[in-house]
Amino acid sequence: MSAREFSIFMCGVGGQGLVLLSNVIGSACARAGIRALTGEQHGLSQRSGSINIHMRIGDGIRSPLIPLGSAGVLLALEALEALRYIEYLRDNGIVLMNTRVQHPVGETAAHMKDKKARYFSVDDVKGRLSKVTNKLSAIDAQDIARSVGNPLTENIVMLGALSTIEDFWVPEGALTEAIRESVPKKAIDVNLKAFKLGQGAAHNDLCNVVKCRE
Amino acid sequence: MGIPELTRDGPSKVFLLCNEAIVRGAIEADVKVIAAYPGSPTSEILDSFSSVASNFDCRMEISSNEKVALETCAGASMAGMRSITSMKSVGLNVASDSFFSLSYTGVKGGMVMVVADDPHAHSSQTEQDGRPYASSAYIPMLSPSDPDEAYRMTKAAFGISEKYGVPVMLHTSTRVNHQSGMVQTGRLTRTPFRKLNWDHPPGRFVTVADSARKFKAELLERTKKIEEDFAASEFNLISDKDSDIGVVASGAGYNYAFDAIDILNIQPALLKLGTTYPMPKKLIADFVSDLSTLVVVEELSPYMETPITAIAKDANPDLKIFGKASGHLSETLEYNPNIVAEAFAKILGLKLPVDYDKISRRAKELKRGLPDRWPTFCAGCPHRATLHALLQAMKGQKHVLATDIGCYSMSFMPPTEYGDTLLSMGACMGVAAGLQYAINEKVIAMIGDSTFYHAGLPGLVNAVHHGDDLTLIILDNEVTAMTGQQPNPGSDVTAGQRPAKRLVLEDVLKGLGIDDLTVVDPYDVKDAAARMKEALSRKGPNVIVSRRACALYSDRNKRRRGEAIVSNAVNEDVCKMPYMCVREFNCPAISIDDERRKARISEELCDGCGVCGRICPFGSIQQKNGGSS
Repeated sequence: MSAREFSIFMCGVGGQGLVLLSNVIGSACARAGIRALTGEQHGLSQRSGSINIHMRIGDGIRSPLIPLGSAGVLLALEALEALRYIEYLRDNGIVLMNTRVQHPVGETAAHMKDKKARYFSVDDVKGRLSKVTNKLSAIDAQDIARSVGNPLTENIVMLGALSTIEDFWVPEGALTEAIRESVPKKAIDVNLKAFKLGQGAAHNDLCNVVKCRE
Repeated sequence: MGIPELTRDGPSKVFLLCNEAIVRGAIEADVKVIAAYPGSPTSEILDSFSSVASNFDCRMEISSNEKVALETCAGASMAGMRSITSMKSVGLNVASDSFFSLSYTGVKGGMVMVVADDPHAHSSQTEQDGRPYASSAYIPMLSPSDPDEAYRMTKAAFGISEKYGVPVMLHTSTRVNHQSGMVQTGRLTRTPFRKLNWDHPPGRFVTVADSARKFKAELLERTKKIEEDFAASEFNLISDKDSDIGVVASGAGYNYAFDAIDILNIQPALLKLGTTYPMPKKLIADFVSDLSTLVVVEELSPYMETPITAIAKDANPDLKIFGKASGHLSETLEYNPNIVAEAFAKILGLKLPVDYDKISRRAKELKRGLPDRWPTFCAGCPHRATLHALLQAMKGQKHVLATDIGCYSMSFMPPTEYGDTLLSMGACMGVAAGLQYAINEKVIAMIGDSTFYHAGLPGLVNAVHHGDDLTLIILDNEVTAMTGQQPNPGSDVTAGQRPAKRLVLEDVLKGLGIDDLTVVDPYDVKDAAARMKEALSRKGPNVIVSRRACALYSDRNKRRRGEAIVSNAVNEDVCKMPYMCVREFNCPAISIDDERRKARISEELCDGCGVCGRICPFGSIQQKNGGSS
């Protein structure tokens, strides 16, 4: 792939605000004069299904879909979804995941039938992922989002964490400006707070295993 | 209001979804009339227009179906106005009758129609390729690959349409429509909306018999001229032709071919075809004349590959052509860079720098036991309640369910797995009519309100007229839910939240001769089940209307009004674990605690509909604040 190319595979569950997240990054790129493109999912899959957005930054690329094994970061707003798309992560790439688990209805139906059944847990996910990368960080974005007073800001908490990674070269100022433009006026302050706290959470954990911005 | 990048004057570089870029292009082209019916992957075209329609002097409607939308644009453009419609390629099936005729009569004002394929059938009943429509109707077609090109092609399409007096098709696919990227916008120069005087002679747009034969001769001449123009089009790009290996690609396929070339670090000659009907034969003949090997990259059918093979037979008989006919690229599913890179490597005898098979195998191993996450009904979705009531009503009685297109189509997926047939918009009625002729079991048809108004009406007329023994269930949730909760003829607004007359479903049904009509509230699930059972036991044709607003739609309205959404909770002291709230209900907000094995409700996901509380035999589910659900 071209030298200055960075791909982020973003995933989660329908309704978690993945499209807003990719729009913020894309608008920030437009602001900073960086080329960006995405492959998004709208429609049927949004209904509590598994969703993903391919986010690609840099010149010399055309495909909105990331080739297998070439995403620099796998950003998961829900833990199970981090594992679901692991084939997109490049060798020893970064997994930045939310600790939140949303149990699929099919799994719950199976639970009903078998008393010994246990849900697939965030620790199960971490255990599996640690076999392919040592750059793994899990953040309780839901808890942070609640602490700022708006559980819908989970996506922006994760963006804050993402923004600390050195290889993700979109300027912080462009990101915060894009947040201001993309969220409702009355929600700007909580979102910027969520962004800051996401950065803080990353500094406590992610930045121990990944090179972060100064 | 709306998306600021669509209303701000240019020039500027902005990040837009392709569907938004198309809207921007049309607004810059001073489009005056906009009519469409939503359908993934085009719905955001309609939504974006809708969100900014009040900023511009134009006329916009959300039409009852694609055929009406196409004809609305046709009427406006016959008069001389610029118009645009958008539809998924299966939507063009609905509109196709007028589409073919419109190529004969032509238009005066520029008319653009966006037609989008859905390779992989992400949100569609088939992987239909829309391109052969253009060639069989002699309608010129442009195929963009990215948002910026879609924006430029939309603008140019209005000019082409006016120059030749024919609608122009902008052909896209899911990975083009749902791609965001940088768009270089231009100035927004709009003229005021002014009604025109009809200045055509009688019969100008009448095609039948003699006039049809005259039009046909003219359109063949027109197509020849357009092909000459397209040979010099800015939308066909040829990159360094310094190799005896060539690639022809178009649309989404071009993006993957471009990246595959990068992955393999090769330098073939590359022809990007933007004008896909009529195909510029001379340009293609020149391109292939010095090559030894050619690969054609396009998703779905060999729409380009077949004529290119015919062109090469004369231009370069020794040329080896690879693609679908050679078996290297498939006619099914969508492509991606690694699929195309693998095909190139195989064709050219190269080694891939990455072992994609190994990556996939390792991932499969890692994911063992990871539960699937199928799309499912949202928490609070009235369809879940209706389906629960229907299953209760029909318990122990064999029946066949002919279902239709909408969120409720998801009932056939695990874990519900309920529903027997699904063909196309409105098809449940006709299929049910055939079933009641043929089978012993009770026949039920199920359709949403928007789909009913779209294509269900003729089927109901037919069933009433023939006295068919079937029960139709209409799921009336106020909006066209699946595509993003757009208004429909049952809403009191249309595009841009402008007021519109709300059709009363009961009046429509009575007017069509339905005497046996039952209206239920699915949230009142036990009452709904009991009354549905009665209705279903009677001889048809009869209709059950299950009425409750889409939960996504009503929750959004509640948030806008500042109303609290109070979730429910399980009282573990009362819960005796009959799992009624899980069995046949499958709400994403409900799970079962690993240790205590009691049901629990996620505060974040629950929308407080209270249906689970009503089906719980022990009354263990109540509102969070202590009130009864």
